[in-house]
Amino acid sequence: MNRTGSLYVTGNSLFHRLDGAVKLVLFMAWTVMTYMFLDLRVFVPMLIVGIALLVTAGIPFKRMAFLFWLMIIFTVLNGIFILLITPTFGTRLTGTDTPVIPLGYNTINAETLFYVLTLSAKYLTLLPITILCIFTTQPSEFACSLNRIGIPYKIAYAVSIALRYIPDLTEEFRSTLNSMQARGMGISKEDGSIMQRLRNLAAVVVPVLQSALHRIDSVTNAMELRGFGTQKRRTWYSGKDMKSLDWTIAVLGVVLLGAGIWLKVNVLRNFWYPFS
Amino acid sequence: MQPIISFQQYGFKYKNQSEPTLKEITLDIYPGEKIWIAGPSGSGKSTLAHCINGLIPFTYGGEATGSLKIGGQNPSDLSIFKLSRTVGTILQDQDSQFVGLTVAEDTAFVMENKAMPRPQMKQEVAAALDMVDMLEYIEQSPYELSGGQKQSVSLAGILSTDAEVLLFDEPLANLDPASGRKAMQLIDDIHRQSGKTVIIIEHRVEDVLQQAVDRIVLMNEGRIAAIGTPDEILSSGILRSYGLRPPLYVDALEYAGLPVTGVTGLSHPQALDIPGLKSKLDSWSEQVGVEQEHRQAQALLEVRGLTFGYDPKQPVIQDVSLQIGAGEVVALLGNNGAGKSTLSQLITGILKPQSGGLSYDGQDISSWSIRRRGEAIGYVMQNPNRMITQHMIAEEVGLGLKVRGVPAAEMKERVEQALRICGLYPYRNWPVSALSYGQKKRLSISSILVLEPKLIILDEPTAGQDYHHYKEFMDFIVSLSARGMGFLLITHDMYLALEYAARAIVLSGGHVIAEDSVAAVLSSPEITKAAHLKETSLSLFAKANGLASPERFVQAFINEEKKGKGHE
Repeated sequence: MNRTGSLYVTGNSLFHRLDGAVKLVLFMAWTVMTYMFLDLRVFVPMLIVGIALLVTAGIPFKRMAFLFWLMIIFTVLNGIFILLITPTFGTRLTGTDTPVIPLGYNTINAETLFYVLTLSAKYLTLLPITILCIFTTQPSEFACSLNRIGIPYKIAYAVSIALRYIPDLTEEFRSTLNSMQARGMGISKEDGSIMQRLRNLAAVVVPVLQSALHRIDSVTNAMELRGFGTQKRRTWYSGKDMKSLDWTIAVLGVVLLGAGIWLKVNVLRNFWYPFS
Repeated sequence: MQPIISFQQYGFKYKNQSEPTLKEITLDIYPGEKIWIAGPSGSGKSTLAHCINGLIPFTYGGEATGSLKIGGQNPSDLSIFKLSRTVGTILQDQDSQFVGLTVAEDTAFVMENKAMPRPQMKQEVAAALDMVDMLEYIEQSPYELSGGQKQSVSLAGILSTDAEVLLFDEPLANLDPASGRKAMQLIDDIHRQSGKTVIIIEHRVEDVLQQAVDRIVLMNEGRIAAIGTPDEILSSGILRSYGLRPPLYVDALEYAGLPVTGVTGLSHPQALDIPGLKSKLDSWSEQVGVEQEHRQAQALLEVRGLTFGYDPKQPVIQDVSLQIGAGEVVALLGNNGAGKSTLSQLITGILKPQSGGLSYDGQDISSWSIRRRGEAIGYVMQNPNRMITQHMIAEEVGLGLKVRGVPAAEMKERVEQALRICGLYPYRNWPVSALSYGQKKRLSISSILVLEPKLIILDEPTAGQDYHHYKEFMDFIVSLSARGMGFLLITHDMYLALEYAARAIVLSGGHVIAEDSVAAVLSSPEITKAAHLKETSLSLFAKANGLASPERFVQAFINEEKKGKGHE
């Protein structure tokens, strides 16, 4: 996280240039697509497109590493647990049973293996688009987009203001912790039992929360004195106007979603298993 | 001419208080005036500001008596937003004031709220930032700006609103001396160019008077104690009785036996038309201005060649060495960002240096933990809110003793002793939340004192304190140093350094650029310029009046001050 508290990475890729609201529409369409199907033939192309977009955005891997590994680990663990707990789940979807790996109490079958593969692909298709949306959108621009798709500006602005003050609060928390440590109430090993250390930590949280409340008070004053919340609508400095590119992509997203729904209803209704 | 702000027999009582905070205020402020509202903490000057910008009655409720008209209208009949079109406020707390994620957004905030179209907004933002000379920072985030720069951005945002009145709530708090001077200059330029009415709330006399003001409104205990031009107020000698500090050279004149009553031109350190002034001051300097010898104390803390950088390629502390002796008071001076706070975090163990060593009382403490160092070296942070975790005052002070397992009876005694020393004994059973900022500051210091460390690092000990409390508190620090406790004062406050520290260490860009007596450091234009300090008004005054030795004059003043404390 950089010091402004946002995860934004500067760049000029397609996704960087897209309007925040369009990204949001795209993200929602993508998510709906993903949840509709259980079909590897849909996920593989989506994954390829997603990865291609991610690569062209030029976000350094270091920045997204945390989110990336979090998703990978979650997906892998999820797969392992499904295989161990319900090794023959795939049979319920396909009606066939092809035993592959004996577990002792049961046997993992090929249908379940393929199901886990499909499910993992399903989760992973969400990864590139999530990362793209988070890392290529400036928080204030995002607030503007939320406002444009109909969310009241006071709520939309709350997003941006929260991001503005999170680093202040972390800093405050850190320095309070330091000063307590110097007075002998730290949270490191030498400061006593786990209980004592937890109590010390709790003692720091209270004043930081109080100061956050106080901060809210003075920020509210500052904002009111500058006329926030008095008009029915407000404009946004850092938003962009919708360009033809934005409209094209938004329409494309909606069309693809429509096509997806059509496919789901008429062709790819269920779990796709090629080997039965 | 019609006054733009008019208080007539105005009084105000906050909802939850039994006594009114403002009483019988009668004050007319005319368009284009530059007014300075001065007074000690608790005098009601902030409340007066709230009445002007509409936080009273729209945010803070209460009962008002008498009448108040702003731009000819009663503020209660308007809204806070309508009022903000007449009165633009720049708050003291720059972090709260700065709501945007970038300079441009923050400047645009008012325009956004007015729903101004984006292309026009972009133009006006650029124009406003240009006015305060901040255009090149347009894309920066608040974390990349100094306090002074944030203030300039706030000013740009307010200027773009066409408000007729600009209200500055303690604009000098949190600024280093050079930035403070720049801020006053900027305010003055804006005042001259735009002809707007400017109202400044401050308690730092000398710093405000660097630029001309039309009238001073002196507040005390909720009433207006005096109104007059700077010359009238200064020559009447009443500032001190209201907890405000007159400019140092005015004090020096009194020490030298030159009466200031009726003297004009006191508001700036300039040549004065007093017969025999030069010869009198010269002989006074000659007599009194003998530099006292420093006793060479045994080193308590020794810092050797410390180097540190968050990014090792860009060190913020470079090869810093210094010593603090037992019973010595040393001032650490330097501009915002010179590395003063970083250095204190290195000494207390919060940060680990890339190279260099530290020893305390002859022992190498490089491997000591924060906790262990905390027992020997107390660190009082600038912001007391970062140090206070308990609900009740006595509990807060006793906290450090409790975790060390000190018996209850001894603990009570030591806590009471520490509270007495810091002037908080009467409040010992109060909740912390009832204290003012200055009192909280004293509370945070007493909670360190109670642990009896031999060395205390005080980060801006006098910030937010008025003169009375400041003096009381610093005299107490001096009495502790006489008992062998060492102090490192990190400060912007030149008076503080001058009067209380024997030695000054000046940091600039992470290097120690000077280490000498405070008088010598503050009389050297090269050092003060490099470190964003200010040449003291004393030495400016001495030069303006052609005195033989400005440094001697400064030293004479310090000696008198020290002697004066002994008399009280």
